[in-house]
Amino acid sequence: MDGAIGLKGCRKIRGSQIRHLLEAKDFFLFDCDGVIWHGEKAITGAPNVVNTLIKQGKGVFFVTNNSTRPRENYVHKFCRLGFTNVNQEQIFSSSYCSAIYLRDVAKVQGKVFVIGCEGIRNELREANVPYLEEVDEPDATIYNCALPTDVKAVLVGHDDQFTFLKLAKASCFLKDPDCLFLATDNDPWHPLKDGRILPGSGCLTAALEVATGRKATIIGKPSRFMFECISSQFTGVDPAQCLMVGDRLETDMLFGSNCGLETMLTLTGISQMEEAEEYSRSEQSNEQCFVPDYVVDTIADFLPAFEELD
Amino acid sequence: MAGSKCTRLNGALIKQVLDSVDSVLFDCDGVIWRGDSAVPGAAEVINLLKKHGKNVYFVTNNSSKTRKLYAQKMGRMGFNVKEEDVFGTAYCTAMYLKTVANFKGKVYLIGSNALKQELEDVGIQQTGVGPDHISGAQSDWANVSLDAEVKAVVVGFDEHFSYMKVNRAMQYLNDPSCLFVATNTDTRLPLEGGKAVPGTGCLVTAVEMAAQRQAQKVGKPNGFMVDCVASQCGLDRSRCMMVGDRLDTDIMLGTNCGLKTVLTLTGVNTLADAQAHQGSGCPERQKMVPDYYVESIADLLPFLQG
Repeated sequence: MDGAIGLKGCRKIRGSQIRHLLEAKDFFLFDCDGVIWHGEKAITGAPNVVNTLIKQGKGVFFVTNNSTRPRENYVHKFCRLGFTNVNQEQIFSSSYCSAIYLRDVAKVQGKVFVIGCEGIRNELREANVPYLEEVDEPDATIYNCALPTDVKAVLVGHDDQFTFLKLAKASCFLKDPDCLFLATDNDPWHPLKDGRILPGSGCLTAALEVATGRKATIIGKPSRFMFECISSQFTGVDPAQCLMVGDRLETDMLFGSNCGLETMLTLTGISQMEEAEEYSRSEQSNEQCFVPDYVVDTIADFLPAFEELD
Repeated sequence: MAGSKCTRLNGALIKQVLDSVDSVLFDCDGVIWRGDSAVPGAAEVINLLKKHGKNVYFVTNNSSKTRKLYAQKMGRMGFNVKEEDVFGTAYCTAMYLKTVANFKGKVYLIGSNALKQELEDVGIQQTGVGPDHISGAQSDWANVSLDAEVKAVVVGFDEHFSYMKVNRAMQYLNDPSCLFVATNTDTRLPLEGGKAVPGTGCLVTAVEMAAQRQAQKVGKPNGFMVDCVASQCGLDRSRCMMVGDRLDTDIMLGTNCGLKTVLTLTGVNTLADAQAHQGSGCPERQKMVPDYYVESIADLLPFLQG
């Protein structure tokens, strides 16, 4: 029993409540994995929801920490899975936003050392941000490898080719306090479609933070930067007019909270209703930020609300 | 416990302190050697301490050598040392699994050949040492085949550390009955010339985060290594001194185990670091303030030679 003011609703809504929300909001920010698709399979009804929102003239954006694909690839995936009319400009991935940050915010003068996948390097190329082309000999070690002096930033993202040598090199670069330390995101693990999980970039970033004694600047959710990217590229994106829809309490809901957006948890992904309820009973104020305003079983629950609107 | 801390150990004080102890525990990296170079005078200090009737043991978090290899390295540098005097975390982790965890089963090992050797020497089988690069598609990695005999994940220093290893460890640790042990959590391994290599702490953190579990740590500042020395060699903790270069491992260990503590300035931490802890009001940080400090362990030579 809590009479505290300002606690989030954390309540499941359907039908007319959703209709009210759809009328009130002009912008919808969707996480991808676990919200609109699972791996290569669209969540039933999701394409219909997204297509309808776009047709109705709502601003629809996709905000994902998944740094493994360039935005171009995402456009193809959207198309493949039945989400028509999604343009590259609507897609905000942590790799794209990291490139934007390096180019426009940090205005990095020098090269970037990337611990990450091709998707990240692709976005850096697109943004004309120079990065180090590593060509280490197979038997190179930290004692004998090349350490260029024009590295002015280290960017850590998802890297399935992560090695001790990369960790050691990055630590050397980061000894220079003027060398930036960025991470695409700090997710500790990612789910695969069959319920298994894989280590996330958060693990690699944490290892490097321990090695250097420095904290990374996180680009992706829950940090605000991706929202700032959106509002700098599109006019009139007022937080009060936005709804953030996601499946991960500690990432998506916190992101929404950090940016002043109302939040909706969909139960088709990582977090469960019980976890949301536990956070809402928590006395720690930082855990209140994980609590969603609204909850739906799936975003397909929007569909009946559309019919009422028509 | 009497007031003064962080006192320079020199002159007459050296005799006073050494007379009050029977055993001296030395850390290795940054104390008696740096990389492959001995700290000048170190061998003489060790040998003279023994001549003066002191028991000398070595307690190192570095898991990359077996105690045999450590003894050999020390021999090459002129230290008069036996294998039984050396307690590295490779050996102590094997001891921990055998005597504390009563471990039966296989280990998934992220670590060195030395750690593998020490485990095998106590009859524990392992899998995983050496290079392990990613192959196949992403969906294969989560379905990576798990050895059903593996009942523990052990993480030590590993130059072949890779994403795939974090993945495998995480998959094993999904089973809550699988043990999770780490040799130590040092953040850096210091080398000659001021270079440092990321330490085991980085690797442990990566696996802990992926698995969302905490490892049981064997090395300093956990007291197990001192228990190891005590159970094998006998040790009167009230007449024992710990000499190290890291406040968060060596000095913390000494304080936790009731030993006298000496910081040497030839390694990771500076006098300013120690004084900062001393000036803080925090009880946890006070544990990292040494009783004494020396510029180098060679500072003990004038007394030992005289």
